[in-house]
Amino acid sequence: MTDAVVVVALLAVAGCATAAVANRDPARQALILAVLGTSLAVLFTVLQAPDVGLSQLAVGSALTPLLIMLSVRKVRRRSAHGKDSRQ
Amino acid sequence: MNGWILAATVVLAVGLGTTLWGVATGPLGRRVVAQNLSTALVCPGLLLLSQGYSRTAYVDLALLLALLGPVGTLVFVRLLADELGDNPPQAWGPTWVAAGVGTVVVAVLCAVTGPGRAMVKLLVIGALLVGGNLLASRALSGGFPGVSRD
Repeated sequence: MTDAVVVVALLAVAGCATAAVANRDPARQALILAVLGTSLAVLFTVLQAPDVGLSQLAVGSALTPLLIMLSVRKVRRRSAHGKDSRQ
Repeated sequence: MNGWILAATVVLAVGLGTTLWGVATGPLGRRVVAQNLSTALVCPGLLLLSQGYSRTAYVDLALLLALLGPVGTLVFVRLLADELGDNPPQAWGPTWVAAGVGTVVVAVLCAVTGPGRAMVKLLVIGALLVGGNLLASRALSGGFPGVSRD
């Protein structure tokens, strides 16, 4: 029975990682990355490593998406600004 | 062989499966809704896992997820406000389903735990989970126009 939970968590992590690679838009990749962080935390918990899962939850579900979205926003703003100044 | 772990397996499989499908396909609005629902559905799964392994320390994971899940969704709502502003996603059906699952799991675990500090912790997690989920869904559907728009 414990193996079934491990298999479910492993499948979720593999599916999320594949979907994150298959998407091309950075904003959508950040969304999938947030789900990937949550499922990785579940996998660590199921493998009896809740301390690793705790830090993965804090970093993966809020901090990494925030950093990626802030960088995407800054890059988009800069490119839009550059186009304006060239015209 | 443990009924709690079986229940956690079902909740995690259904929750992670549907949210993975929702977050990987479709328009941007539906993806943000699916990301919000993933945290709201994984949190009851973690609570059931802690009961199944009979280790109360695992409840901290669910507490952290109930705190940080809505924060992550609010980050996306704030930074994707331009893309979501034209037609904000309305998903009250799945939101209430996720809130119902969380409420049922917390109620069952409270009944099993019995009165005490552990039950208070479970109730706090349940309140954070349902409240944060509803708050994030309201922010997603454009409920706070002065805040969510840039």
